[in-house]
Amino acid sequence: MSQTNPESLAERVKAIPGGEMLMMCFSCGTCTSKCMIQEKLEPNYNPRRLIREAVFNYKEEAFADETTWLCSACDLCYPACPQKIHISGVITVIKQLAVAEGKQTPYQTAKVDEATCVACGLCVSVCPYEAISLVEKKVAFRGLIPVASVDPGKCMACGMCSAACRSTSIRLTEDFNDQQLIEDLWTWLERKTI
Amino acid sequence: MVDAARQPLIEIKAFTDVEKVEGFVGNFKVTLREKAKYVRADRCNGCNACSLACPVEVPNYFEMNLSSRKAAYVPMSQSVPLIYTIDMDACIHCYKCVEACGSLQAIDFGMQDKVTEEDIGAIVVATGFSHFDPTPMMEYGYGHFPNVITAMEMERLNNSAGPTRGSLIRPSDNVKPKRLAIINCVGSRDKRYIQSCSNFCCMYAIKNALLLKQAIPDIDISIYYIDIRTPSKGYEEFYDRAREAGIKFVQGRPAEITEDPETHQLFIKSEDITLGRVVEHEYDMVMLNQAAIPQPDQNHMSSVLNVAQSPGGWFMEYHPKLRPMDSPTDGIFFAGACQGPKDIPASVAQGSAAAARASRILHSDTWQIEPTVAVVWPDRCVSGKGQACGICDRACPYGAINYEKGSAAEVVTAKCHGCGACVGECPHDAVTQLHFTDAQVLSQIRTLLAVEPEKKILAFRCQWCSYGGADLAGTSHFEYSANERGLRVMCSARMDADLIFEAFRLGAGAILYSGCHPQDCHYITGQVAGAKRASRLEKMFERMGMSPGRFRTEWISAAEGDKYARVINEMQATLDEIPMEELKSEIERLKPEMEKKLSKLNQIPGVEEALIQVDFIVNEMLGKAVSA
Repeated sequence: MSQTNPESLAERVKAIPGGEMLMMCFSCGTCTSKCMIQEKLEPNYNPRRLIREAVFNYKEEAFADETTWLCSACDLCYPACPQKIHISGVITVIKQLAVAEGKQTPYQTAKVDEATCVACGLCVSVCPYEAISLVEKKVAFRGLIPVASVDPGKCMACGMCSAACRSTSIRLTEDFNDQQLIEDLWTWLERKTI
Repeated sequence: MVDAARQPLIEIKAFTDVEKVEGFVGNFKVTLREKAKYVRADRCNGCNACSLACPVEVPNYFEMNLSSRKAAYVPMSQSVPLIYTIDMDACIHCYKCVEACGSLQAIDFGMQDKVTEEDIGAIVVATGFSHFDPTPMMEYGYGHFPNVITAMEMERLNNSAGPTRGSLIRPSDNVKPKRLAIINCVGSRDKRYIQSCSNFCCMYAIKNALLLKQAIPDIDISIYYIDIRTPSKGYEEFYDRAREAGIKFVQGRPAEITEDPETHQLFIKSEDITLGRVVEHEYDMVMLNQAAIPQPDQNHMSSVLNVAQSPGGWFMEYHPKLRPMDSPTDGIFFAGACQGPKDIPASVAQGSAAAARASRILHSDTWQIEPTVAVVWPDRCVSGKGQACGICDRACPYGAINYEKGSAAEVVTAKCHGCGACVGECPHDAVTQLHFTDAQVLSQIRTLLAVEPEKKILAFRCQWCSYGGADLAGTSHFEYSANERGLRVMCSARMDADLIFEAFRLGAGAILYSGCHPQDCHYITGQVAGAKRASRLEKMFERMGMSPGRFRTEWISAAEGDKYARVINEMQATLDEIPMEELKSEIERLKPEMEKKLSKLNQIPGVEEALIQVDFIVNEMLGKAVSA
């Protein structure tokens, strides 16, 4: 039996639930040509390439790849894959490994305002990616209290938590904060023609 | 085909179903149903007058429904034998064909199906293959987009005898296509549909592309592929020729085809793997190169012929490397794609080999079979004493046992394949298998467990799969525990419960019960009987309070050497976890229960004598070993 290095990226991906099927990819490219993100957002987005990078242990390239951070787990590719690989699962595993090594997403994630969070748990229950959890944390002026915490490795920046939060303590940072969205809304409402 | 029809010793029985196959090698009784053609074969001269006169038109299946035929028809003009048929599902009984036939009087509406029974020496099965229907693959739009066609439709459109007389036109507007795409692996190499590779489609795509390029020199052809497989002699050169001729090869499986609803132009979106970029190209016409699948009635034929099927549904050969043309049933042979997808050279080779095999049977007066057949001791069989039993009859995958209440069961030796299912199942130990008698197998068990049995892992392996797996583990140098002791029987069905009890009574540390995966069983359903018994034993040992893992069931194929080594190592690890004192006391505790199950063992003819002899030899050897 061949000796494999358990430290290699491929072995680490395979060891985490979701990444088991990594080696089954035969590079047909169906996932890439099926992908909406590739079509609408990022032409360089390519799940097939990311899987190759993982298989051949190109760790830095894989962790810097747009594909790692942009997948929204819409699973359009999953039913199209002739090898029945749950590709978004594999990508999520690679992203988790990247985060564990201290890599940050170049894109935005939800941020918690710990000064106002009351740890009601509403955001935890609405998050479709199970990215939010309640943790005990020492917060300035408030002492050791439970607050919501976002796992950047899982957050897809959908904004569900921000919409659900009753104290506006969790929000997306850049283009999609409440103020921006309200302004957008007014612009739309004031437009005469649609 | 014409040549075959001219041979006086070859009789072609067209339009005939095989209903029943009984008997055994050299002596098959085959029931044939010759379906009524409503045209007398001895009078029809194939003049086509009835077809011309017939007013009914139905879709022509032979032309993939691209054109029509009459209710009085032959599938194609080169049909052999050239005898017309009246399609009674379509016929409106106008009898115009009878008028047209005139004085020949070949048409006979009173004709009935003819059922005959024939004596047959050997059977060659050459039922071919069928095509995967790409309709469920919504992404390719077959059935919705008129210009997406299948390989078989392309075959007819490009055939000089086809519906368009050989000129390729696209179905939406009957215009010659300028840009054509061929998509490979439609349904094949796809775990959602057909998992396996269909073998010949790469070459088929290249052949079609070259033919079309010859017919229409300015056509632009692209072939979309995952991998191009051209493994045989001269095939790679053919692939070279295609590239020279200007056919483009695009690596990347298309994700979807879209259509302009007005012009019916098609757009294929795929990732061009070599460019690493998603590309979209426009085509006038797309051909889907579908997977090869077994015939729709393959399951029915398999039960009529009593031959097993491989995982994909193809007929299963006796041995994939050494006897690819033989079925597991003596006297039945396979030719061509009914046994697995094949191209023409491979089919011809297999067909010739099957014919040679069959003629060997036809030219011999006697036939040698494997000597490992089952034998019944009539005085031990309870059926002879008037009890209703028949367990052996139900266990036999080949129907080789004649059971009738009131007389002892009998084995038809020529039909017996020697799996030992009857031997393993018989509750009265009234059946034995030559070369694997209870006395012989028990002697082996006793010898293997003569020294320190509690440290041993006794592995029951079936001849075809797990024995091969263990062999492969050895030749591949996969390391596994040296405490393993292998014991070969023909099939997991032969692994009698008595043998397991005896091994545990002797103090075996652990027992592996291994055989083929159910779909690989060389004895049709032998493994099923073995698996049932194994799960029964597992439950029994659990009730007795045996440590978990001491009795283990695993199905290991001949290709899974690594699995065999892993299983044995895992069993050794489980055994190591039990402290030796505990294991010994458990063995002592279970001994009386095993003895209870084995109370009648010594009554089996030959067992007692054999075991006395084994004990004598083993003791003598051990004595010598100690003194040396």
